[in-house]
Amino acid sequence: MIGEIRKKRLIEAMVDAGLDGLVLYGNAWQNDYLRYAADFGILEGEGLAVVTRDGDVTLYLDDELEGERASVECPEVKTVVASNLIETVSGVIGRLGNSRIAAGPKRHLPYGLAARRGDLRFEDATALVDRLLMVKTADELAAIQGAARLADEGYAIFRNAAAVGKKDYELIAEIESFFRNEGVDDNFMIIGVGGPEVRGMAPPLGKVLKPGDLVTTELTPCVNGYYVQICRTLVIGEPNEAQRKVFGIYNDALEAGLAVVRPGVTAADIARAENDIFRAHGLGEYVTSEYTRVRGHGLGLFPDTKPHILEDVNTVIEEGMSLIVHPNTYNPEIGYFVHGDSLIVRADGPEILTKTPRKLFAVDAKRVAA
Amino acid sequence: MRHGLILWREDELSTADVKARQARLQAAIAAAGLDGVLIYTNHVRSAGVTWVSGFTPYWSDGLVLVLREGLPIFLTALSKRVGEWVKSVAPTFEVAHSPFPGKLAGERLAKIGAKRLGVVELDRMPGGVVDEIVSILPVELSDATELFTSVRGQADRAELSLVRMTDDIAREAFRAGDVKSKFAGDFTGPVERAVRLAGAEECYMAVAPDLSKDRRFVRTGKAELGRTFAVRLSMAYNGAWVRRIETFSAVSEIGARLSSVSAALDRASPAQPANGSISAFYLPDGAKLIDWHLEAPHGTRPLKVVADAETSLAMPVPYGILTTAFVLDGETIVASRPVGLADKILREAAE
Repeated sequence: MIGEIRKKRLIEAMVDAGLDGLVLYGNAWQNDYLRYAADFGILEGEGLAVVTRDGDVTLYLDDELEGERASVECPEVKTVVASNLIETVSGVIGRLGNSRIAAGPKRHLPYGLAARRGDLRFEDATALVDRLLMVKTADELAAIQGAARLADEGYAIFRNAAAVGKKDYELIAEIESFFRNEGVDDNFMIIGVGGPEVRGMAPPLGKVLKPGDLVTTELTPCVNGYYVQICRTLVIGEPNEAQRKVFGIYNDALEAGLAVVRPGVTAADIARAENDIFRAHGLGEYVTSEYTRVRGHGLGLFPDTKPHILEDVNTVIEEGMSLIVHPNTYNPEIGYFVHGDSLIVRADGPEILTKTPRKLFAVDAKRVAA
Repeated sequence: MRHGLILWREDELSTADVKARQARLQAAIAAAGLDGVLIYTNHVRSAGVTWVSGFTPYWSDGLVLVLREGLPIFLTALSKRVGEWVKSVAPTFEVAHSPFPGKLAGERLAKIGAKRLGVVELDRMPGGVVDEIVSILPVELSDATELFTSVRGQADRAELSLVRMTDDIAREAFRAGDVKSKFAGDFTGPVERAVRLAGAEECYMAVAPDLSKDRRFVRTGKAELGRTFAVRLSMAYNGAWVRRIETFSAVSEIGARLSSVSAALDRASPAQPANGSISAFYLPDGAKLIDWHLEAPHGTRPLKVVADAETSLAMPVPYGILTTAFVLDGETIVASRPVGLADKILREAAE
């Protein structure tokens, strides 16, 4: 159903742009373009969707196992398994002649496709598809609301699993097990464990949780293709004064960012509201790219979609976008700290999706891993 | 994304092991008259770079440039903060940062006056990266997939040992699944937990929920399990990929028979050659073969079908994963096991 709605929007956008065909690339990392057209959550190998303006969508995959899965999971889409993906799809495109064909995402489009297209060249489909990805339909937003429940429940599992002596990857094992039980397709998740020496998050390194550690995580479950994120920090044992003080700054920054969100403001306005709180506390250095990547970002069929919330991004925020606002960055006193909530942009402001309390969680230091 | 344990473990894959691989590739680069080889990586197409460096990106992408001599260079748009993490988990290459890694590759190639660059899977290289390279240097690009595959096809002891270790984790993890589970997710959740608790880097689970109706695998955890069902566990541990399929039944009599077949496959498979010939593989007495295929690491792909009933194996592979589907005593059984894990020296002697 949701796939059909997306397909209809895509075809309308193609017709409006005067395009005859679209070629969309995807893999498990960059799957949003492919999924928008073909509604398939690719896992292994690579795929291309060829869309024509009369509404025909064909999914080309280079992996037999994925082709088999697509035939069950999205039977309404015609799927072709082609071990030589580029040659096969180039042949299909060639038969479309010199009609107007756009392709995307531009940076990831395989070189062989463009090389075989030669002088005819593809038009760039990136802006057209990005707009569809950013501003969502009511059905897409409903799917995102559904995913938010699992982000909250996932964080509760994470919090309850944290214990002295537990390793970081063991915490992730608990989350993933829970998500598989709940039918969650995928999860973007990084973690940090420790104190001032921790400057960011990464996959687990085998660190053992100990009293006094900050445990940071971004949890991003994907339900029916849609990602929702929650960022929280917990302390093993009672938070010290510095940890409490710093939490207050990040919480103020998050609330300042959320307070700005409404249709018509820019991504830069949100980032500036967050960063001004840090600057007011003499922490302006820590909102630069030396210490942090973004102050939030779009969410949807990709866990880190446009717009990026940064002071130099002037994308206008529109009703129907879904975002996370997260003033995550390094703090010199206590280390890397994260705090963020997902939202939908409504006409009158943000609808906050994640319901986990905005607090600095503490895990009893007497709770020891079995 | 990858979010299992990613760690440099010198005792499992040593710097010397990786440097020996790099030296073999560099010798092949020189013999082919190339100035270097470029290998793309992201977490889907990770295998080429993992083999040549021991590194797998958890997110985003990058390039490894292997020149005729010297340390390979990992070129990435990832931040310097993430770069520190990269260095901590892979001390086998230089890490260089740029928002445009292709441009950086072009600059490095220009420095040595390069004229001929081999690219593994040139057709699949992101077009933006190729544009960046040629905007800096008018280098001649050629496809180096065959060159890379011929070097990569030689197994080394470290790799075979990691594959055995990975398969051991997979076999043990299946014990966590309850055959009486009602839904697929009830079975796969505990199995995935066990895999990750054992330190796996990645885990994908899929289920053929009712083999009496359909042998195709799906990822949904909500599928109701039938009388016999198959579970496919695809996992990576320290860069080594294994796929293992087991068939289960909640009916105790059938379940016991399936356990016995599984144990026989475990005894027979590792020593069997990964040469793409089905005649060499074990099948239980009385079984009727329905289908088979052999997968192996290939180019940038961790596992890819390299042979089946219609297609013979084109080039040697370091090891393989054999999947068979057969009927035994009226029940459809699907099984996957690693093959070609006998010690390299023993394999060479046998050949």
